[in-house]
Amino acid sequence: MNAMQGILDFWAAYRSTLAFAIVNSFLALSTYAVLSAGILSFATVTYAAFGGFLGARLVLATGFDPMLTLPAAALAGAVLSYLVALIFLRLESHWMALASLALILITRVIVINIPVVTGGVNGMSVPLPVSLELLAVLIALAALVFWRLSVSWYGIAAQSVREDTAVASSLGIAPRKIQTIAFVISGAVGGLGGMLLAGALQFISPDTYFVNIAFTMIAGVVLGGSYHWTGVIIGAAVFTALPVIAQAIIPEFQDVANGIVLLLIMIFLPRGLVDPLSIRLRKNFQIPVARAIEDPSISKPGVVK
Amino acid sequence: MSGPNANGLSQPLLAISAIGKNFGGVAAVSELSMVVQTGSVAGLMGPNGAGKTTLVNLISGLLPSDSGTIRLADVEIQRSPSHVIAELGIARTYQNVRLFSGMTVLEQVMAGCYVRRGTSLWASFLGLPKARAARKAVEIHALELLDRVQLANRAHLLAETLSYGEQRRVEIARALGTSPRLLLLDEPTAGMNAQESNEIGKLVHSLRDGGLTVLIVEHNVQLVKDYCDHVTVMNFGRFLADGTPAECIAHPDVQAAYFGKTTDAERIRTLR
Repeated sequence: MNAMQGILDFWAAYRSTLAFAIVNSFLALSTYAVLSAGILSFATVTYAAFGGFLGARLVLATGFDPMLTLPAAALAGAVLSYLVALIFLRLESHWMALASLALILITRVIVINIPVVTGGVNGMSVPLPVSLELLAVLIALAALVFWRLSVSWYGIAAQSVREDTAVASSLGIAPRKIQTIAFVISGAVGGLGGMLLAGALQFISPDTYFVNIAFTMIAGVVLGGSYHWTGVIIGAAVFTALPVIAQAIIPEFQDVANGIVLLLIMIFLPRGLVDPLSIRLRKNFQIPVARAIEDPSISKPGVVK
Repeated sequence: MSGPNANGLSQPLLAISAIGKNFGGVAAVSELSMVVQTGSVAGLMGPNGAGKTTLVNLISGLLPSDSGTIRLADVEIQRSPSHVIAELGIARTYQNVRLFSGMTVLEQVMAGCYVRRGTSLWASFLGLPKARAARKAVEIHALELLDRVQLANRAHLLAETLSYGEQRRVEIARALGTSPRLLLLDEPTAGMNAQESNEIGKLVHSLRDGGLTVLIVEHNVQLVKDYCDHVTVMNFGRFLADGTPAECIAHPDVQAAYFGKTTDAERIRTLR
C-alpha cells in the first residue's frame, strides 16, 4: 500500500511539472520548426504572446468556446509568422536572430500599451482550464505532424536548405519558399503553445512572454537535439523538470546542478541528447559493409536488373 | 529546339554573351562570350584565378552577373535565381565537394530529384497513396542514378563515410537527379588519380551519348584532350582562345598563359 501511496504522491507533486513540460515542448517545437530550415529565430515568444492574449481575450469578451480558442490561437500565430517571414527572410541569418530578439522587446512594449486587450501591466486571468489529458492528446498530434514533416519531401528540402542553402537552391529547391513554410509552422505551433501556457498558468502578464521562456525553449532545442524533433520534446521536458527536481533534492545547490547538467551535455553530447547522425553512424557499422559491397543487389530494393 | 539547323550547325544549348562580374574593383570575369553546343562535352580551361569557377557560378545563378546575357536554348537566365535555373535544366557540382551532412547517399540523390518528385508537398505530407507511389518511383530512379556512378551498393551509407572520389561521384548523381539538360562539372577530377579521372571521363562520355550536354572546368590537360569535343580557354577573366583541345593546347597564347612567355626570354637575348 505504501508503494501505491508513493506513486500517488509523486504524481500529485509532479503532475503540473509534466503539464509545463508539454507546454514548453510546444514552444521548443516552434523554434525547432524554423531551425530545421536553417533559421535561428526567437520570434516564437511573439507568436506565443499573440496566441495567448488573443485566445484569453476571446473567451473573456465573447464567450468563445474555450476549445475553439486553441485552433484560433494556432491560426493567429500562423498569420503573424507569415508576416514576420516576409520581413525576416530579407535578412542575413545572424541579423535575423538579432531582429527576432528585438521583436520580443517590441512585443512586450505592445502588450503593456494595449491594456484593453492584454490587461496591460496588471495582466489578466485566463478562464481556460487545460487538462493534462488534453495536453497529452495535443502533443501526440504535434508529434504526428512533425514526424510526417520529417519524412515528407518538405523534410528533405528543409534539411537540404539547412545544411547548404546555396547547394539546395542549385538543386531547384526554393529556399525562400521552404523557409516561409517553416515560419508558418513555427507560428502555428508557437501560437498554440502560447495559449496552452496561458491555460496552464491561469494568469498571464507582459512578463509571461519574455526572454525567460526564450531561454527554456532554446535550451530544450539545442541541448535536447536540434537535428530531430524527438530530441526537442525530450529536451524541453528535461529542462522543465531539471529545476523542479533539483529544487526538491538539493535545494541549496539548485542553480549549480542546472549549470553542471548543461555543461555535461555541451561537453559530452555537443549535438544534443538525441542525435540522428551518431545513431546513423552507429547503424552504418552494424550493417555488414563488406557484404553490401560484394553484393550490389543488397541495398537496392525494387531495382530489377 | 536542338539538333542541326538550316546551316548544318547545331544550335548552341548555352550561349554566353559579354558576361561580366566584378568583386569590388577586381573584374573576375569581363566581356566573356562562349557557346556550348547541344550534345557536346565542352571544356573550360585557364590558369588558377582565371575566373572559371566564377563563370560557373554565374551560369548556375549562384552569383548575379553585372553585365551581359546568358541564354539556355531560348531563355535568358542571367537574372533568374538559382533554383529557377535548376528547374530550367542546369545542374552543377562543386570544386570542393559540398554534400549535405547527416544524409545517406540515397537521400542526397533524392534531394537532387526534388524538382522531379511528381507530387505536391501537401500530398507528400499527408502520405496519400499517389504521393507514396511517386516517392517510390523517385527512389528507384535515384538508385538507378547511383548505379550509373557505380555507387548503388553504398546507397544506405552516410555520405560522409565515403572516400573522396566516391563523394565526388555522389555529387554527380545528385546533380543528375534534377534531370538536367546541361551539367556543369567544376574540376570533377581534382584530387583523383589517373585511373579515377579516366572513370569520370568515361562517365561523362556515356552521359553525353545519353543526350546530356556537359561543360567541364578542368586542369587535367590529358583529360581535356581525351574527353572534350570543344575547349574554351580564359585568363584574367577574359576570353583567350577556343577550338578543339589540340588547337587550344597548341595555341601560343594558351602556352604563354600556362607556362609563361618563352618569347620574353628570346627578346631579352636579342636585345643584348
